[in-house]
Amino acid sequence: MKNGFPVFLASLLALGGSWCGFVLAPIVQLGGGQQTTILNSSDLYPLGRPGMANQGLQVYRANGCAACHTEQVQQSGVACDVVLTSAGKDPAGVTNLISSLNLNGLDKAAADGLVDKITAAGGKAEIHIIATGPDITRSWGRRHSVAEDFLYDDPVQLGSLRIGPDLADAGTRQPDANWQLVHLYAPQNVVKDSAMPPFRYLFRVRKINAAPSPDALVFSKGSGPPTGYEVVPTARAQELAAYLLSLHADVSLHDAPFTRPAAVSKP
Amino acid sequence: MSDESKSSTPQSPDAVLAVSRSTVPIWIIVLTLLLLFLGMVYFDHHGGWFNPQVYGPYASAEELELYQPKSGEAAILARGKARYDLVCGLCHGVDGLGKPGQAPPLAGSEWVDTKGIQRFVSIPLAGVGGQLSVKGQTWSLSMPAMGAAMSDADLADVLTYIHNSWGNKQGPVTADDVKAIRAKLGAHPQPFTGETLKALPE
Amino acid sequence: MNNMFAKRDSSEIDRSCCIPLLALFGGAALWLVFGSVLGLIASIKFHAPGFLANCAWLTYGRLQPAADDALLYGFCLPAGLGVALWVLARLSQTPLRGAIVPIVAANLWHLGVLVGLVAILIGDGTGFAWLEFPRGSSVPIFFAYLLLALWAMMVFARRHERTLYPSQWFLVAALFWFPWIYSTANLFLVAWPVRGVAQAVIGWWFANNLLLVWTALVGLGTAFYFLPKLTGCPLQSHYLALFAFWTFILFATWCGIPPGAPVPVWLPTLSAVAAAWLLVPLLVIAIVGLRTVWGSVKSSWDNGPFCFIGFGLDCFCLSGLMLVAMACPQISRWTDFTWFGPAETQLRLYGFFAMTMFGAVYYLLPRAVGMEFPFPKLVRAHFWLSLVGVALLVVPLAIGGVLQGLKLQNPDIAFADTTKAMLPFLRVSTLGLTAMLLGNLLFFVNIIGLTLRWKLALLKQFIAFVKSPLEPGSACASLRRDKEVRA
Repeated sequence: MKNGFPVFLASLLALGGSWCGFVLAPIVQLGGGQQTTILNSSDLYPLGRPGMANQGLQVYRANGCAACHTEQVQQSGVACDVVLTSAGKDPAGVTNLISSLNLNGLDKAAADGLVDKITAAGGKAEIHIIATGPDITRSWGRRHSVAEDFLYDDPVQLGSLRIGPDLADAGTRQPDANWQLVHLYAPQNVVKDSAMPPFRYLFRVRKINAAPSPDALVFSKGSGPPTGYEVVPTARAQELAAYLLSLHADVSLHDAPFTRPAAVSKP
Repeated sequence: MSDESKSSTPQSPDAVLAVSRSTVPIWIIVLTLLLLFLGMVYFDHHGGWFNPQVYGPYASAEELELYQPKSGEAAILARGKARYDLVCGLCHGVDGLGKPGQAPPLAGSEWVDTKGIQRFVSIPLAGVGGQLSVKGQTWSLSMPAMGAAMSDADLADVLTYIHNSWGNKQGPVTADDVKAIRAKLGAHPQPFTGETLKALPE
Repeated sequence: MNNMFAKRDSSEIDRSCCIPLLALFGGAALWLVFGSVLGLIASIKFHAPGFLANCAWLTYGRLQPAADDALLYGFCLPAGLGVALWVLARLSQTPLRGAIVPIVAANLWHLGVLVGLVAILIGDGTGFAWLEFPRGSSVPIFFAYLLLALWAMMVFARRHERTLYPSQWFLVAALFWFPWIYSTANLFLVAWPVRGVAQAVIGWWFANNLLLVWTALVGLGTAFYFLPKLTGCPLQSHYLALFAFWTFILFATWCGIPPGAPVPVWLPTLSAVAAAWLLVPLLVIAIVGLRTVWGSVKSSWDNGPFCFIGFGLDCFCLSGLMLVAMACPQISRWTDFTWFGPAETQLRLYGFFAMTMFGAVYYLLPRAVGMEFPFPKLVRAHFWLSLVGVALLVVPLAIGGVLQGLKLQNPDIAFADTTKAMLPFLRVSTLGLTAMLLGNLLFFVNIIGLTLRWKLALLKQFIAFVKSPLEPGSACASLRRDKEVRA
């Protein structure tokens, strides 16, 4: 490189290449994202968060919740469980056959082989697809997160550090709005040893005048404000709770398949 | 810098800096090429080939397809579609609309989209020859007994799929249904004509 | 012809950069201290979650990004720009002309940082990591950068020595890099946001290109200039540096998508492959550094700037290895979502980039101003405090991060235990942050002291000028000198 032009060219080439790969291609491939249907159903997904939850996302952003929480379930593998649906005309034979076999945590080929064996013995069996991984065992979600989960979010708050637990499935785990609000007001009240700071500035403590507010937080015995006082969430706190309740990662999709629990029917 | 003699006084504050001209060792180039090759092989195996549907831990569209849960009705329809596309779709079309001069449509056909299944199951077991009117159009047919070689369960899956696709909305066909009708037709039935088919109950 | 330029007075070039550099480095030193105070408060929250929790401004989720951005946008970028400006002027053998523009740009930049930090603290951040500054701040920052880069490019274009020294490739590429990535990120994420996870991908691309590529280009360009200069050994060699430049910008631009991200698998896989390829430039850069200073390390150890820059290069290689480890899917499961990531970022931003900039500033600023630092002995104290600070911050976080990852991977361990196990490490890192804050304060004292000394000298000159109106010769001379400095 004797003069400046090759430097410019090198930068253009390197940065332009990655711009096409990591800016243009994702916009083309994911930016036009569309609803998809839930697996083995005609229901559309996602439907978008309710209005209050969308405002809650802004509260989540403004207070930097993503500094401590991720919203991405990790999946390390996939396994098949073989489930007997009918023992057929020779129940004893089929039961004998499967009692000596491992029916869970198989790969696809082994599961297919097993189903063939059971069918040959006159029984009927189904294969259930199970997403596996530590996050899923912790019930932080039922499968890995995919683009569809964030289709309507702006900004998308994936997070990168788990000082607190993953929230991708928070709404399924704790569907109780009061629990969420109490947890925001005084985390250590409901989760002992929690490292989360209290977000008291999202609440007002006030004296109960005529009648208690219908929005007031319900505390368990021994915690909460002194008698005669109540803790009322501000609009921001309610929006944030609505957002947390709207977080789900429990829908089976083509790009994140698993057998839904409704289909589980053990013999 | 282009001239090494210039670099004799590197510590003088504004002299052009000294720079050696020794070349890149060959082993670094070899290492780079090796890493490039290994990287491409790795991407080939794990990259899902830019498919927007493939997420980790899946490595390819085929693997993802393998692990689609198929149970109950969904499984029957999926198996039925696979066999239909392979065996029947060639003439009747994967869209069930048939092909002019070859095979009549199955979508909305009065021989198919019916509650009763006698005729519907008999056709693939015995085949059809001669004139047949389908949806107001007369077809001259010579359909072999495509279903005769299939197992009862497989044929039931295909027929259930046809009964529940392209706007057809009928009940399932079970393996037992197929078995009963196959027994009624006998071992080597003659292909149906329009008249003999009409003689069958729906 | 060479002789002509060899005779050119380098102090003229240095002095031409004086006021822009003071403006850039003064603000940078202020933000550096401010950022470390914010970071320290954020870190104390791990000792007591309730600490300052009732103030919305000081909640952890606002403090931490504000501290990070104060370090990156407040210190790293303006310091890097100032150093690049001076190094380019020196290598081009060309004085800076029209210094008023970079002065205005530097102040515009620091104003933008002020607006951005306040916005984050009042809850108006954009929510994208490393791009939290909202529009009111990113627009002035963008134009300030454009102006500074333009002026640096004009110096480069007017250079007397046509053949390029390796540092020039790195620095010129860096000038070009930031406007592209910053405008792309702001347009697609803030101005007209794209839908869904494409946002996250663009955010990662931007952060990687700024935190990895831009800092490496400026930091390495600076190191490749100063190491030969400080040791008196020639750079080993031109072609290795060229090879490192090409491979680095070709591979490093493709890093940054974390493994396991909720995006189609080709994106993280491509990043993992690129990170593995990054081993080549890392190795070559280590070879260049080692070969260049080999044999002169001991004698140069007394030299303040050399310590900073040498340590910076070590941290660069180490953080590069950590980056490769984090991108490798087999290893990343123990580092994903743990403190290992912040440890790597801090090692790169502070251990490598900020340290390299400290060394460069300690070398060049006295020459540009034409005066010594008021407390030259503090330079060594600053070095040791920063070194201990980086070690106490990065080592516990990295080790704790891996332990945290091991616990996260074991679903039998309750999540609360993974956080609890991390606390001792976080508490040690608070000590590291304290040491870094003290070091930064020493830097701040020296920079501000030098600025005051320079202003005092100007004032004295002015007073002398006012007092002696009747001696036309000396007054004119003084006025002219004054003008020269300002220009």
